[in-house]
Amino acid sequence: MSETYDFLFKFLVIGSAGTGKSCLLHQFIENKFKQDSNHTIGVEFGSRVVNVGGKTVKLQIWDTAGQERFRSVTRSYYRGAAGALLVYDITSRETYNALTNWLTDARTLASPNIVIILCGNKKDLEADREVTFLEASRFAQENELIFLETSALTGENVEEGFLKCARIILNKIDSGELDPERMGSGIQYGDASLRQLRQPRGTTTTQNKQQCNC
Amino acid sequence: MMERAMEQLNVQLSRLTRSLRRARTVELPEDNETAVYTLMPMVMADQHRSVSELLLNSKFDVNYAFGRVKRSLLHIAANCGSVECLVLLLKRGANPNYQDISGCTPLHLAARNGQKKCMGKLLEYNADVNICNNEGLTAIHWLAVNGRTELLHDLVQHVSNVDVEDAMGQTALHVACQNGHKTTVLCLLDSGADINRPNISGATPLYFACSHGQRDTAQILLSRGAKYLADKNGITPLDLCVQGGYGETCEILIQHHSRLFQTLIQMTQNDEMKENMLRQVLEHVSQQRDSHYQRILTSLAEVATTNGHKLLSLSSSYEAQMKSLLRIVRIFCHVFRLGPSSPNNGNDMGYNGNKTPRSQVFKMCARQMAVETVQKDECPWTGSAVFDPMELLWHSLDEWLVLISTELDRNRKNPSSPSSSSSEIASLLLKQREVDPSGSMPSLLDAQTAMETEVYADGEDVISMTASRLSAVIQAFYMCCSCQMPQGMTSPRFIEFVCKHDEVLKCFVTRNPKIIFNHFHFLLECPELMSRFMHIIKGQPFKDRCEWFYEHLLAGQPDSDMVHRPVNENDILLIHRDSIFRSSCEMVSKSTNEKLKQGIAVRFHGEEGMGQGVVREWFDILSNEIINPDYALFTQSADGTTFQPNSNSSVNPDHLNYFLFAGQILGLALYHRQLVNIYFTRSFYKHILGIPVNYQDVSSIDPEYAKNLQWILDNDISDLGLELTFSVETDVFGAMEEMPLKPGGTSILVTQDNKAEYVQLVTELRMTRAIQPQINAFLQGFHTFIPPSLIQLFDEYELELLLSGMPEIDVQDWYRNTEYTSGYDPQEPVVQWFWEVVNSLTQEERVLLLQFVTGSSRVPHGGFAYLMGGSGLQKFTVAAVPYTSNLLPTSSTCINMLKLPEYPSQEVLRDRLLVALHCGSYGYTMA
Repeated sequence: MSETYDFLFKFLVIGSAGTGKSCLLHQFIENKFKQDSNHTIGVEFGSRVVNVGGKTVKLQIWDTAGQERFRSVTRSYYRGAAGALLVYDITSRETYNALTNWLTDARTLASPNIVIILCGNKKDLEADREVTFLEASRFAQENELIFLETSALTGENVEEGFLKCARIILNKIDSGELDPERMGSGIQYGDASLRQLRQPRGTTTTQNKQQCNC
Repeated sequence: MMERAMEQLNVQLSRLTRSLRRARTVELPEDNETAVYTLMPMVMADQHRSVSELLLNSKFDVNYAFGRVKRSLLHIAANCGSVECLVLLLKRGANPNYQDISGCTPLHLAARNGQKKCMGKLLEYNADVNICNNEGLTAIHWLAVNGRTELLHDLVQHVSNVDVEDAMGQTALHVACQNGHKTTVLCLLDSGADINRPNISGATPLYFACSHGQRDTAQILLSRGAKYLADKNGITPLDLCVQGGYGETCEILIQHHSRLFQTLIQMTQNDEMKENMLRQVLEHVSQQRDSHYQRILTSLAEVATTNGHKLLSLSSSYEAQMKSLLRIVRIFCHVFRLGPSSPNNGNDMGYNGNKTPRSQVFKMCARQMAVETVQKDECPWTGSAVFDPMELLWHSLDEWLVLISTELDRNRKNPSSPSSSSSEIASLLLKQREVDPSGSMPSLLDAQTAMETEVYADGEDVISMTASRLSAVIQAFYMCCSCQMPQGMTSPRFIEFVCKHDEVLKCFVTRNPKIIFNHFHFLLECPELMSRFMHIIKGQPFKDRCEWFYEHLLAGQPDSDMVHRPVNENDILLIHRDSIFRSSCEMVSKSTNEKLKQGIAVRFHGEEGMGQGVVREWFDILSNEIINPDYALFTQSADGTTFQPNSNSSVNPDHLNYFLFAGQILGLALYHRQLVNIYFTRSFYKHILGIPVNYQDVSSIDPEYAKNLQWILDNDISDLGLELTFSVETDVFGAMEEMPLKPGGTSILVTQDNKAEYVQLVTELRMTRAIQPQINAFLQGFHTFIPPSLIQLFDEYELELLLSGMPEIDVQDWYRNTEYTSGYDPQEPVVQWFWEVVNSLTQEERVLLLQFVTGSSRVPHGGFAYLMGGSGLQKFTVAAVPYTSNLLPTSSTCINMLKLPEYPSQEVLRDRLLVALHCGSYGYTMA
């Protein structure tokens, strides 16, 4: 039967070609580094159910191709995304310089409330670094982004990136800033709260809270 | 002493009298076993006086258990409702809690059979209501199973625990819910039954109610606060409702747990769910309220979009995602069509007015759109908000196709391989094909396909990896477009779409023709689109096209396993053998097309026989009758074996009705895969297919005239002084009349420049216009069973095979009766290669070869020795032709001649011959 979760969030992974987007996704889903990664063709799909703040959230992640020739196709996936990981490669200034363009795309094409996390990937290649942490974090501040440096190779901060994004979205739901019922929000309810009722009462307090939702 | 004896005698006498008067014994036998069988019938009939009498003074043990199940008389009394006997037995000390072999007490039996009074008495005598039988069932279980609420009401007062479980952990509430006894359920709940009690597999009362679609019971449970719980295997009440197709119960569940709505929608992605059941449930729920209808469709559209996007992810499973997407879209369209906004309901949509979304995005493909624009104005494409979520998917689809088109362009402009010249040739050929779609040479076609593969090599990965996935999304798109249109109309939006992406779609199917059969079903429904792909479709194996043909012809008809259903006596076609044509015509016209499609049952008057054999015989005899010269409907062609409509058939005043009938019979035969015993002329097959005839077809009715037409075409007529005009002289009842071939034709001279037009017009006059009414009537009948769009899949050669079957060909006989000319002789290596190749061909290919050379798939009676040409016996002949590279074999059908180039090797010969055979209809006319 179908999976159990409270919410489903639609996520995007965007950024220039070769920044390691697919590897980040692979690391997040499989906990492994993808050795021989080819260029992504079009858009790839992955999903994982995570626990954030006592809620189960299914992340439906669309990993887009960074190559210019796929740009028109990947853009068609932006609409209705709740969150995005914007990825650049700390060893390539070119990918960093392209961030403004990607950001504009995301802000114009996706929902205006989209939560964007900036990921400086390939943190493990310190020796080849071309973009400093300070510089990138300043860029993040100016553009109101959360910023992390990640390594798809070691897995450092990968989980954090995705979870942080999910957590912010959940907070926005709680505060009423985001309405999951609105079409195109990139958020859907699951039916977990109903299914969990069959467990003995009082095992966790969170579940009792969820009962009120139904 | 004497007195005693007398007294005894008196007693005996009175016994005897009593016994005789009552027709039974008046004294109970001594032993219990015999006694009990004496008493049992009396207890069953509640003859309490007799029983009481017999028991008086007897030593019978009232608790004596007897029979296989070891019941006491009290059991019997309780079971049968013999309340007086029951009381009697109880008074005499019968044990009210005595259990039979299955553990049942008299109370169980009284409860099971609803013996109210007996139950009351048993309780008075302290019967224990809490005793379980061997299966753990108590009296209240029995009452609950059968919904005896009134009795239950009395009983529960005495019950210590209404939730007593049977061996399966089931309480009375469980069984009452399963059987949907509403008042019983209420009574149990009022008596404190646990509404959420799970049985040993975790099934709750609600679960039981849902598993059997007990809507009202579910409603009661939910309104009394029953929780929505899954069983131990995670199967939820909703799962059960959907599996059983219980729409009403689902509706109740959703009313109480609105989140289940989303779960229900998500189920469409589950491969294990039965699609028809799920559809039934969604149908029902959508019909309850407008808002439900809207919400179901919107949610389905969202799920479809996600699925479609997953399908476009290359790492997803193509098979699973494709099936899932198409299933969801099928359900979506189904529900949509039912709803208030379906155009078929004649209802105006109240939701989104007449919005024509995205017409700006899809630019009109001006050239082809003239016809469709009219359509569009008449029936504006009215969108509905429920489709909106899918626009994302269609948008992605569009972007993907644009991307692929760019890839194709890029590869064509900068070919990575050094074969730039060949790519130029290919694009040249591509253009050539567009200019002349019908008549390009097979060799060109062949070369072009080869080139295309080469040219696209660079974009290969992207295209080959995405083609099937994109095609499946296109299929989904078509379904969504179509369900907004009245039946049988193609959505202008979809036509625009195909026009826009014409090149990419053609590229897909050229590389992987299976896509056509798997996903491009729209072609069969839109002739205007079909024509664009016809050349690719025609290039597919005959077999594949046959399968596709029947798959669509029979779509919507009940499955073939329905064949065995009993035939309604009224639907049997009763045929008189002595007037087979007339009586068949009568019977067929009386029946309805729908019935005839479902199946044919034939019985000959005065005969018993029925079944497929008789149907076969009927088609066989009837097809012979249709060409019977007495009816003057069809005439023999010059070779004597093939037939075509008789231009003078009007001697029979009813002839057009008969042509209609003949068309129906041929259509029916094809529909039911029955072969007929008629071979038509090539030109008539073309008429059936709607293909224009050409001058060579004339040879079947007038071989000499055909030769003359050929001569005009072959020679320069400028200086011959023929003084031909665009007119012919015809004999109208003895008077010669000049008949123009086109307006003003009598004054237009035939010249070297316009002679081709002249030949075509004169051919049409001879072949078509003369029998136009007959053709039209025939086709009208034929098309009632075979839609024109479907028959188009075949050429005239294949149509003959479809209608008349594949003949057996004896290659030895063929070899023995073949002649050689122009330099060939049987010893020639090329000739020997030829026969080796013929031997290695499949039966189907041999028939193609025979058709290619003789124009017919038919081997005459008596074998190849009797092969006829335009003017008498004409054996199969192989003629030599000088070889130039890529040259294909050609033929002259009127003299049964194969012109076989002197190929350098058997391989080349085989290759070229097969190309000629498989592209027969293209290469033929040019050669």
